[in-house]
Amino acid sequence: MSLLEATSEAFRRLFALDAELWTVVGISLKVSITALAIATPFAVALGFWVASNRFRGRRALILTLQGLLSFPTVVVGLILYLLLSRSGPLGPWHLLFTQDAMIAGQAIIAFPVLAAFTLAAVHGADPRLRETATSLGAGSLRSALTTLHEVRFAVIAAVLNGFGRVISEVGCSMMVGGNISGFTRNVPTAIALETSKGDFAQGIALGAVLMVFALLVTVLLGIVQSESGAK
Amino acid sequence: MSVIVTLREAAKAYSGKPLLAVGNLTLAAGDLIVLTGDNGSGKTTFLKMLAGLEHGDRFALSFDGLEATARHYPHALRHAIVYVHQHPYLFNTSIIDNIRYGLRQRGTPPHDRERLVREAIAWAGIEPVLAVAPKRLSGGEKQKVALARARVLAPRVLLVDEPTANLDGQARAQVIELLRRTATGDNCVVVACHDRELMELEGARRWHLEGGRITEQS
Repeated sequence: MSLLEATSEAFRRLFALDAELWTVVGISLKVSITALAIATPFAVALGFWVASNRFRGRRALILTLQGLLSFPTVVVGLILYLLLSRSGPLGPWHLLFTQDAMIAGQAIIAFPVLAAFTLAAVHGADPRLRETATSLGAGSLRSALTTLHEVRFAVIAAVLNGFGRVISEVGCSMMVGGNISGFTRNVPTAIALETSKGDFAQGIALGAVLMVFALLVTVLLGIVQSESGAK
Repeated sequence: MSVIVTLREAAKAYSGKPLLAVGNLTLAAGDLIVLTGDNGSGKTTFLKMLAGLEHGDRFALSFDGLEATARHYPHALRHAIVYVHQHPYLFNTSIIDNIRYGLRQRGTPPHDRERLVREAIAWAGIEPVLAVAPKRLSGGEKQKVALARARVLAPRVLLVDEPTANLDGQARAQVIELLRRTATGDNCVVVACHDRELMELEGARRWHLEGGRITEQS
């Protein structure tokens, strides 16, 4: 099958709402969105806390978070695999090769992105912001929420960046998900499998979906940045 | 005049060099105090210490049975003492939300809150700019919004830092007029400034900060 024929077949399957293809897309979205929903509150809270407090080891923590931004996803998968495998410390939980394991892996991958971006946003916020909130009577929690509200566009950008990183990662999902059809097969692992089987049409169709996701994230980031500049 | 705040001590040093060594001052109801001093003399630091926004090395202040120290500044005191920056920070929401902010923190019921916000807007004469994004306001307009936002809380002590710096013409005159009207009989207003017109406001006491100490000038 030529590239042109494969592409044509790919779009036919996409528009024919091919069940297998769209099941894979659904799993991808479910896993990635759930992982982000779990990681975001904790990562944003950590980013805010580190940015707002001075403590021993702070610099090392910031460097660690920044270093984890480029941590190979396959290594996250490897570590998680060792923890979740039958002989691992978390083996009794029977999570290996489940969507829950993929969600855990993607939450770990997204965490440093969310935390580091939030940290930078809060650290870069105008110091008069918290003083104003405090002087107007806000307690610690309200003052923190006001600060996060003021840097909301940067936090939204962090979430979008996190989504971009997890929706396209293949290493961790492959290792802890196992690429089981209809269960743990997501878009990146399906592309790897279909290509190795020679079903380029399916690979191209899924690649097109992934590119649409990437485009959407880019467009949304642009909107968020222009909103941030306009306000 | 009844005493609102008694400051027994406010001392702070930077890198071992003393900046402030202020002691025994009282702020009374009806006071309009103009605080002068050279740039870098510590006026902003002093006002921020009074407002609990900056820690001193030694600090002791009494207000209505509440005691503030260098280690502890009671939250209830923040409802009585409000600080306005030289270049006020306006939250990235609407102007009305900015003015409403402090009332929400105090748990003011919505009906009263909206009435007080409307009164503060009328008081500051900022109706024409209500629909403008805070970021797009001029310096004078921001200062007026910040004064309305502070005044709506009816603080017993209002601390205003260089409110007319970088303002000229009509904006400066409007801000001075607002400050004059802010000083009512039952509160105290402290204004740090270099502005001669502010220094000569009728009934104003003049404090001068030099060498870390505050002296009252006639």
